[in-house]
Amino acid sequence: MTPEWGWLVVWGAIVSLDLVSVGQFMLARPLVAGTVAGVILGDPLAGGTVGAILELFALDVLPIGGVRYPDYGVGAVAAAATAAGAPGALGTGIAVCTGLVVAYVGEWVMLVVRQANTADVRRHREALDAGHPPTIAAVHVRGLGRDLVRSVVLTVGGLALAAAVHRWPPVDEVRGAVLVGIVVIGAGLGAATAGVLRAVGQTVTVRWFGLGLIVGVIWTFSQ
Amino acid sequence: MSIVLTRLDDRLIHGQVVVGWVQHLGVKRIVLVDDEVRSNAWEQELYTLGVPGDITVEFASVDEAVQAVRDWNADPTRTLLLAGRVDAIVRLCEGTDVIRKINVGGLHEGSGRTQRLAFVYLTGEEAEQLRRLHDQGVEVSAQDVPTANRAPLKDWA
Amino acid sequence: MTRGLGASWLRTFLLQASFNFDRMVGIGWAWAAEPILRALPGGRGGEAYHGAMRRATRFFNAHPYLAGMAVGAVARAEHEGLPPDKVERLRQALIGPLGSVGDKLIWAGVLPASVGLGLLVAALVSPVAGAVVFFVGYNAVHLPLRWWALREGWRRGADVSGALTAGGIKRGMRLLGPFGALLVGIAIPVLGGWLARDYVLETKLSIALVGALGVAFARWILPAFRGLRFGLVAAAVALLVGWLS
Repeated sequence: MTPEWGWLVVWGAIVSLDLVSVGQFMLARPLVAGTVAGVILGDPLAGGTVGAILELFALDVLPIGGVRYPDYGVGAVAAAATAAGAPGALGTGIAVCTGLVVAYVGEWVMLVVRQANTADVRRHREALDAGHPPTIAAVHVRGLGRDLVRSVVLTVGGLALAAAVHRWPPVDEVRGAVLVGIVVIGAGLGAATAGVLRAVGQTVTVRWFGLGLIVGVIWTFSQ
Repeated sequence: MSIVLTRLDDRLIHGQVVVGWVQHLGVKRIVLVDDEVRSNAWEQELYTLGVPGDITVEFASVDEAVQAVRDWNADPTRTLLLAGRVDAIVRLCEGTDVIRKINVGGLHEGSGRTQRLAFVYLTGEEAEQLRRLHDQGVEVSAQDVPTANRAPLKDWA
Repeated sequence: MTRGLGASWLRTFLLQASFNFDRMVGIGWAWAAEPILRALPGGRGGEAYHGAMRRATRFFNAHPYLAGMAVGAVARAEHEGLPPDKVERLRQALIGPLGSVGDKLIWAGVLPASVGLGLLVAALVSPVAGAVVFFVGYNAVHLPLRWWALREGWRRGADVSGALTAGGIKRGMRLLGPFGALLVGIAIPVLGGWLARDYVLETKLSIALVGALGVAFARWILPAFRGLRFGLVAAAVALLVGWLS
């Protein structure tokens, strides 16, 4: 346990709180969460790479109207911790996979917190309906406390998984690691495309997206 | 069959409708069926706000909707019917035989309702009304956004 | 400036902290509105304050950045002594519109636009630069929007719809969606090229093939099997294939 990992826990908890409870400054976007985690570990390129891939997955999510969504922020922190220092192309795929697993678990842990909040509201329904300010503040602050606990637990769990994957088995001995890298990059690009198509639907916006794709493809091949 | 979705949602026009269903189904017209909103100009103005310019929003009372629902269905414009109250949906279904499917998108806590799903709360009477529609052959299911799983009525009411 | 407005603004950043299924952000809404309601005639001991607080904890949900507009508008309506049923109707009627405007403007506009820009910069310059450009660009809209929403709500009260029909918001909703789609469209191939920079052409083509398969699954074959699930299963298949070969 090096000091860097202590800072990672702090960063992961901040990121996870940002997702719903505190601010929504978009620290929880994988591009930010993963890159900063990489900077903490002294490998911003590895953190930024897995962050960018997970960002593609996150573009598939529209958080409309209180629906649940994966916690890609903590996922990106765990992915960066897996990838940092691992041999480039080999580590990326396995690291992103670790991030996806953590993000998926995060979605379910969030549900537990919301159920606990609901039970709390029901226990104090009379005082809440009477508009009793201390009860309102207490229920609200307890909700924040639960989310803080969730954030820390999820981050510690995610980092433990990352540490385990990072050390055993050594990433460069995992057969199929390169293949996994190829697959997660492809799946990420597909997820982002499908997500944007779903968000813009059948309006004229789809033409702008198509135009962008053409420009991007031409630019990429002209390099 | 140009009524592409009939939705029961007490938030009426909100993000799940505009960013979710309208895009997903290629809806070109939203008809908001609600007696209170029908008689209230500033609420109509509010609900029109979040809707993209190429989609028309119309407001109807329940009685007007019962009269017009056959025409909307015959019209080629892809239409989303939206109501916030269970009794409005019941009158709409029982007044005509055009609507055979109901999407329950969100009915929230308050006035004696109990929880049935994460986003569906009903009074005993409302549950009874929905079951009656089901018995009359109307397919009632709950689904908040197009990417979620659909929960049939028998699972929650 | 009115007493309590600044405190309420800060509290709107924690609006969703007690998110629950019964009231969604209703409790957080009451907690955020409380500082402005303290200034009601009679203060914290007064009947106006108690009545307003009673009405404040009901079900509420909207886009978190614009919810402050409802806080401001309803607080103003309480200060102007609107009848309780009118105040409740105002609060309830703002739920849908503030949700659809915010989702359209932010989640389907500002967010994809700034993510697209951030990913482009990440690929062309460096991930750190990309993260900074995204974060600064996004919050340059986010923070002023939160303050504007609360202040406009407070300024206009029950006539708050005028704030949302104002030119800027409408233009933003119309232009940001296509702009974001354009930027993400450019970013997807450019980022893909950057991520696959060390691979040979055949490998790059297989990446594109997996991407196309992902889109096909999400759009037509099995919509529930998309994004994260597709990624996890595809990776599991890749590990299995690698292990067997």
